[in-house]
Amino acid sequence: MAERDAEIVFKKDTVHKLLSGFFKEEKTKLSGDAALLMAEMLKIFVEEAAVRSQKQAESEDCDEVEIEHFEKILPQLLLDF
Amino acid sequence: MKMSVDKDETLQRLKAAVHYTVGRLCQKTGEDHRREFSRQVIAAIAETTFRQCDIFAKDLEAFARHAKRSTVTTDDVKLVARRSTALSIYIQNKSEELNQEQKDLKKKNTGKRKSRETEEESRE
Repeated sequence: MAERDAEIVFKKDTVHKLLSGFFKEEKTKLSGDAALLMAEMLKIFVEEAAVRSQKQAESEDCDEVEIEHFEKILPQLLLDF
Repeated sequence: MKMSVDKDETLQRLKAAVHYTVGRLCQKTGEDHRREFSRQVIAAIAETTFRQCDIFAKDLEAFARHAKRSTVTTDDVKLVARRSTALSIYIQNKSEELNQEQKDLKKKNTGKRKSRETEEESRE
């Protein structure tokens, strides 16, 4: 029971390295709390992408979620974020 | 020459880490709705998430710079979440949760110290 409920998260360290790598200036740093919050943001981004793709597949009566389904929902997903 | 090789390695490792978590999240969503995600679509979502991080990072940096800070804080993250009301509220709540956790942790440590002091006093 406990295993099913184990939360899937982006590791704070991964998020930190990821975002820091994209900063334009060397002096820009990322606080620990900001990294944790961004990990939440990313998780929601992925979940939205997954759920919307799944719903698209459902509306097309498809058994598997394929790349065409993701492509259709991608524009709105990016606009919403 | 070596430096750029190391950088590529780090990048690949980060991409792999993102791909791994994306895969697990897609698997869970698939289980909840009884529809599997193809490997191609998981890779596409992972790649998109990775690129979205670039956009997020640039925005965060710009917000911090605008506030004349060199460190990105949770205030900047809240701004990044501004486009959707639901998302905004969710991030705001998570931020408060984090603050509360830290306060509770501090209180726990101060409490331990205080009770130890009173113990020593009563012994004297």
